[in-house]
Amino acid sequence: MNKNIYAPNLAAVKKVRDEAEGIKTFTLEFEDREIKESFDYHSGQFVELSIFGVGEAPVSITSSPVNKGYLELSVAAVGKVTQALHLKKEGDVVGIRGPYGNGFPLAEVKGKNILFVGGGIGLAPLRSLINQMFAQRDDFAKISILYGARTLQLLCFVDDLEKWGGAKNSEVLLSVDVPDSKWKGNVGVVGTLLPKTDIDVKNTMAFVCGPPIMIHFIILDLLKMQFGGEQIITTMERRMECGLGKCGHCNIGGKYVCLDGPVFSYRQLRELGENI
Amino acid sequence: MKILDKAKLSQFLEGLKPKYEVIAPLHEGKDILFGRLDSTKLAIDFVGKTRLSPKEYLFPQREVLFTFEENKKVEIKAYLDETKRVIWGIRPCDLHGIKILNMVYFSDYIDPYYQARSTNTLLLGLNCNEAEASCFCSSLGTGPFAREGFDLLFTDLGDTFLVEIGSKAGEMLIEEANLFIEAAEKDKEKAKMLESKSKQSFANQIDIKKVEGKLPDVLDNPLWAEEADKCFLCGACNFVCPACHCFNIEDIKVGQRTERVRYWDSCQLGGFTQMAAYNSRTAQVERLRQRIYHKFSYIPDRYNGQLGCTGCGRCIDVCLGEIDIAQILRKVANE
Repeated sequence: MNKNIYAPNLAAVKKVRDEAEGIKTFTLEFEDREIKESFDYHSGQFVELSIFGVGEAPVSITSSPVNKGYLELSVAAVGKVTQALHLKKEGDVVGIRGPYGNGFPLAEVKGKNILFVGGGIGLAPLRSLINQMFAQRDDFAKISILYGARTLQLLCFVDDLEKWGGAKNSEVLLSVDVPDSKWKGNVGVVGTLLPKTDIDVKNTMAFVCGPPIMIHFIILDLLKMQFGGEQIITTMERRMECGLGKCGHCNIGGKYVCLDGPVFSYRQLRELGENI
Repeated sequence: MKILDKAKLSQFLEGLKPKYEVIAPLHEGKDILFGRLDSTKLAIDFVGKTRLSPKEYLFPQREVLFTFEENKKVEIKAYLDETKRVIWGIRPCDLHGIKILNMVYFSDYIDPYYQARSTNTLLLGLNCNEAEASCFCSSLGTGPFAREGFDLLFTDLGDTFLVEIGSKAGEMLIEEANLFIEAAEKDKEKAKMLESKSKQSFANQIDIKKVEGKLPDVLDNPLWAEEADKCFLCGACNFVCPACHCFNIEDIKVGQRTERVRYWDSCQLGGFTQMAAYNSRTAQVERLRQRIYHKFSYIPDRYNGQLGCTGCGRCIDVCLGEIDIAQILRKVANE
């Protein structure tokens, strides 16, 4: 690894997949063999992605730690860096430093039912954890995945959803806000799926990720269902320059989202103080 | 403790030049600013603070982290400033600012750029014998006399300086200069007298314990909106602050080459929390409140109770909207 904490490691684009409308999934491999083999991370962590000449942006890792030797990032082209990433082709080189942040609790939630609630590209960090859980499937009870997007064209990870939905003791429920003629499923925000599944609240951990407004309303729904603050886990998005607890941008309360997060329980979020 | 004739200060500092870049407060027009030593401009007898702190010598306003040459392969080249440097005339408030920078840049991950400057810089402090109107370090315990964070610490006794040694490296400077003599008991007593006299010169008083106690309960108080209404969104409060350490990183193309540059940022500007599709602090009231809470609640929480404010009052001096951090703190204390 580079000793300079700001120095990105070079990584080659190995594969580009159109994930959904405006969203692509990039498979990256470090050029340095030693880094490629030693790079390890937890689900829920993120990296700082460099497009040389354009800049850096924090991106959550969507591949799972059980997948060795490569890294997947699913990215919507919404900002300067992500738009530049979308222009990259197989063989192009980008920069990666990290992994940063705390990651999702895994050992702590063994034996429980797991409820995932994702919105749009917010499924990307959850996918990392879901695949890790499926790799050690017997450690968890029922796995429910509720996933919504604005339109059918914006649903990500369709192959994964099919695989997860077909596995035993697990279910996948989908919803779109604005349906077209092809859509036969649930219509409405992802929260409308909550009443459509049986949730044993006492023995369930909920993992929520999506746009801020979605997270806000899902948390309200879960609290109404009597989920405790410790049972709701979410991952925060904040502006970050360094990812190292120095640049100050992601500070909320006494925490830095880059160091202490991005994964927080609802109880921890409440304790941050600032209205979130 | 040592004694240096005031008349020999310039000789002492000039003597360091072969080995060090010497930075000192200089008369620049009506201002006193840190700059490369020019003995004809050296400010020795000045009241209160320099216009700006010497922060930029440890954490410059803009610095190139890397250059990228994009030919066949991306070549990353880092730039570390390892200039041997001595800064003389640092006020206790500014020494506290450096302490905050140290905590941020040496905690969790070591910042190599800051480390290169910090380990090659000797800090020569200068106690304050008199406060300016905006100063309030005495209420925060960060001044007017320093207790730590210096290699040498000077106290102006009139015709001489009393010099306290804070590190081995500081002691070496004294030994090599051969200009210092042993201090007498009366010199130390005079310094103590000057310290208590200096403390009495502060018009600006704040009950900081009370402020810290009240902060958790006043997050939604109307006082933040009253203050935020006065803000012109210029960010000057952050840019003159010796303890503010937030930065942006940006790639800037210079011909074929790209420079990855970092530069100071301000939490008072709307873009500070702007992401591609979402801004987490859209109202000025949230941003102003963040500045105060970060300094008086979040930094102390994170770094052993150390305040993120130095009490220098520069943000008060420069604010176009006359936002006065000391007044805000008094308002909080009185809630």
